[in-house]
Amino acid sequence: MEEKNNLIGKAVNRIDGVLKITGKATYATDYPAKDMAYAVLFKSTIASGTITDIDTTKTQESQGVLAVITHKNAPRLNVKGGLRGGALLQGPEVYFYGQHIGIVVAETFEQATHAAHLIKVEYHKKEEKIDFEKLAPSAGMPQGKELADLFRGDAKASLEEAAVKIVETYETPIEHHHPMEPHSTVAVWEGENVILYNGSQIINGAQASAAATLNLKPEQVRIISPFIGGGFGSKGGQWANLVLTAVAAKMVSRPVKLALTRQQMFNSVGLRQRNKQKISLGATKDGKLISLAHETTTHTAIDGEYIEPCGDCSKIMYETPNSLISYRVVPMNIILPTYTRGPGKSTGSFALESAMDELAYKLDIDPIEFRLKNQPERDPSNGKPWSSRKVIDCLREGAKAFGWEKRNATPGKNRIGNNLIGYGVACGSYPARQRDSSAVIKLTRNGNLVTATVEIAASDLGTGTNTILAQTAADGLGISMEHITVKIGDSNLPPAAGSVGSVGAASFANAVNDACTKITDELLVKSNKKFFVRPTASQLMISEHINSFDTRADAKAPMEAEQYSAHSFNANFAEVHVNIHTGMIKVTRFLAVTGAGKILNPKTARSQIIGGNIWGIGMALSEESIIDPRWGNFATRSFGDYHVPTNFDIGKLDAMFIKEDDKIPNKMGIKGIGEVGIVGVAAAVANAVFNATGKRVRSLPITPDKLL
Amino acid sequence: MRPFKFTNTKNSSAAINLLDRNPNASFLAGGTNLLDLMKEDVERPDELIDITRLDLTSISSITRGKNAGGVLIGGLGKNTNAANHQLIRKDFPLLTKAILAGASAQIRNMATNGGNLMQRTRCSYFYDTAMPCNKRSPGSGCSAMEGFNRMHAVFGWSNECVAVYPSDMAVALSAMNANINVMQKEGQIRSIAINDFHRLPGNHPEKDNTLNHGELITSIELPKNNFAAHSAYVKVRDRNSYAFALVSVATGLVLDGNKIVSAHIAMGGVAHKPWRASIAEALLRGKAATLANFRLAAEAEMSHAKPLFHNKFKVGLGANTITAALQLASKGTDAVA
Repeated sequence: MEEKNNLIGKAVNRIDGVLKITGKATYATDYPAKDMAYAVLFKSTIASGTITDIDTTKTQESQGVLAVITHKNAPRLNVKGGLRGGALLQGPEVYFYGQHIGIVVAETFEQATHAAHLIKVEYHKKEEKIDFEKLAPSAGMPQGKELADLFRGDAKASLEEAAVKIVETYETPIEHHHPMEPHSTVAVWEGENVILYNGSQIINGAQASAAATLNLKPEQVRIISPFIGGGFGSKGGQWANLVLTAVAAKMVSRPVKLALTRQQMFNSVGLRQRNKQKISLGATKDGKLISLAHETTTHTAIDGEYIEPCGDCSKIMYETPNSLISYRVVPMNIILPTYTRGPGKSTGSFALESAMDELAYKLDIDPIEFRLKNQPERDPSNGKPWSSRKVIDCLREGAKAFGWEKRNATPGKNRIGNNLIGYGVACGSYPARQRDSSAVIKLTRNGNLVTATVEIAASDLGTGTNTILAQTAADGLGISMEHITVKIGDSNLPPAAGSVGSVGAASFANAVNDACTKITDELLVKSNKKFFVRPTASQLMISEHINSFDTRADAKAPMEAEQYSAHSFNANFAEVHVNIHTGMIKVTRFLAVTGAGKILNPKTARSQIIGGNIWGIGMALSEESIIDPRWGNFATRSFGDYHVPTNFDIGKLDAMFIKEDDKIPNKMGIKGIGEVGIVGVAAAVANAVFNATGKRVRSLPITPDKLL
Repeated sequence: MRPFKFTNTKNSSAAINLLDRNPNASFLAGGTNLLDLMKEDVERPDELIDITRLDLTSISSITRGKNAGGVLIGGLGKNTNAANHQLIRKDFPLLTKAILAGASAQIRNMATNGGNLMQRTRCSYFYDTAMPCNKRSPGSGCSAMEGFNRMHAVFGWSNECVAVYPSDMAVALSAMNANINVMQKEGQIRSIAINDFHRLPGNHPEKDNTLNHGELITSIELPKNNFAAHSAYVKVRDRNSYAFALVSVATGLVLDGNKIVSAHIAMGGVAHKPWRASIAEALLRGKAATLANFRLAAEAEMSHAKPLFHNKFKVGLGANTITAALQLASKGTDAVA
């Protein structure tokens, strides 16, 4: 008889690794369709106003052109169907530079691209709101109630009384997700139903919003997305391009492929907004925090509100009797901001953890000791007990592994040749949640071999969902991984949560695990026998000579989870070298120590954490999008201008996990690691730059010119 | 991209004749810049003449004549091969360093030496066809002058254009006084000094260089020099690889003990062409190779800079970078920053 596998927690290889490195994994544009036509979007070249004329004469005469779709001939769509960012060709109004204003469909991509260049557009321009510096003072209260001012005690009065204080403003620029796979869709109509091959972090969400926007029933829309080439939030909510592909396919009565270009990615699929964060910290002489205020000013779209919650980490990271978290927002003629890896927490922790470092320096206390002195017993924002909280272990074990004792507390004193060397630390957190998800298990027996198919409308951003679900099913059923087929990424499968907000692993794996338990229970009942040791589903299929057996589980978070505050926590350690002549920075070492519950697969988990670290390093040192306030366009419009980190920017990376056995957030004890990997990273790097040079840069990214 | 005619030939004269008869034709070499610009609708040739099959890829020593001791590098050789060729690594290591500081390995494997000289500015307003740009569309105005000009020129710009020339390779060539050999119709050869090859924008920013339509870069000649042991290329950029220079400096020092016989300094990222730092060079001639002298010369050079709104930092950064490069070169070509 087969034993249980105990694969959960093992660093097994990705089950789809070979498919990916051989190019056989099918991403959205890889789906062939007979008679495919190609669509290219064209965009506004003003930020605010009305289109008075679109001359498409030359375009329509251009070789291979099948259709030109603008607001004049586009079908009526439901603009409140749940897609993000508008731009659905429903009217002549322009709300931001680079808004989609039309589509050219042609026999080839090249023909469509060329024809799109021939379009002439005339506008009636209105005064744009695009200069954040000028508009920030007029920012008002957010519409969303969850971001209303949050007072505890009296942060202002207590700051006045504090023996030592810091009041500083930290700035973070617009950033872009830029997944390796640009947003792409293939739309194929079958009668009144449409199949949309489209990278989607939330399969059922994409289905619902596409259907509602197209005025269809959800069952008329099928989303197929087994592989996603990254998304980082930009493929969570879906954008106009998804539905416009379906519209184009309908209008030419052929399958249509629409892939955004890298340039179009800058203003088509949301962005991380620019933030000004004012942090006021007050402490007693011996380093006890008595006041914490985190006041964020940011921007949103003219016709919609999204604000990343920069104050979230400040709510829970430190014990303080007095706190204030607030947001002010100004609508601008820029595309709607959206969820961007570690939304709010990554940028918010840059401000909070930089300020903590500044205050520790002022207090002349080691920044790790300062953090340890101010750990809360319970969640300060709601008084709930922690489900588990391993910040202290993250800091202590990280300090030991990193060699923190070698840090010179006096900035600018550690120099080798022309390089100044600095160490920095910063903490982070991200909520742990399980969301409703359903999974079906189908077992088939052939002699003594039992194989299983796992079905769930989960998504895999490239992080390893397929693999962890195979591990979970293997353990839950007593079947080896090679005999398990995982089917995800299809809205025809049982509905599931998305790969967003670090809920994916907990939601999907618990659903599969529940289905494994349920199918075993059902087989036990069917056997009508009593066993001394609980047999596996596989053993039961064989012993009871059952040829096929299915079940479905609908998993929910445990009821008691609500009574606790559950988060993943981390501590980040950075070593930087700063050239004294050029100001160029290299992160020579980075260590992230994370307490994130059960780690299902240390190999894919490490990849996720260091991936987050690398983006955090990019956030700290190089990523920034600049808007030209005269027109509202991005002056940074390619990877030549928008600098993501290269291999040469990244030194030695290490990821450590603190063991946690916390079954409160969910039965499997999974907290999620997708978001937390970027939280605290930029602050750790910025704090290391301060330790190296004595220069405190409060405006990201820390480019060489800021250190001169 | 716009429809275009595609022609190829293995014969240099034929290629030149093909180009010469069509004012809207372009040569296509590695394509690492031209094809990008065509996809963006910035370059709009109606004919491409593929010259990658021309026999112009060799690298050879010049053994005879007044240029003996120099090296000839084929115009259509790949950047990677030029950087790694033993003749270059041994006698012209400054060129190796500069080429390897540019782009990425993949691009250097595609890009040709002649094509590198022909690459166009990376000014984002030049690339964005919705924006005014005198270089792309003469007379439409310069968006960068009053716009986002952090990457732009501090020397030699005009009211028509403040773009910088992006090459690293050419900065080293400038410091080495290379010559660009070009073939004209009917086979005549013309040699253009590197420092006369690229031009300042003046009233014609649409013209990057002094090459005429119908001329083909056949080779780059590196004259013999005696600073192979004391050269350095320092490039400052927003990330450690695959970024254009904020400021770069190529330098070679001819030393007699601690005395500077001559200093050769060229800068990248500061002008519409490789900027020869002749003020610093003049100040250093005959002086001791000390950090103080390097700093004085560097600051003297940069005191003539005319920065724009967003690139004032380039003045101080330029002085630092010249100083750092001279210091490195004085320690020896293999010194590490």
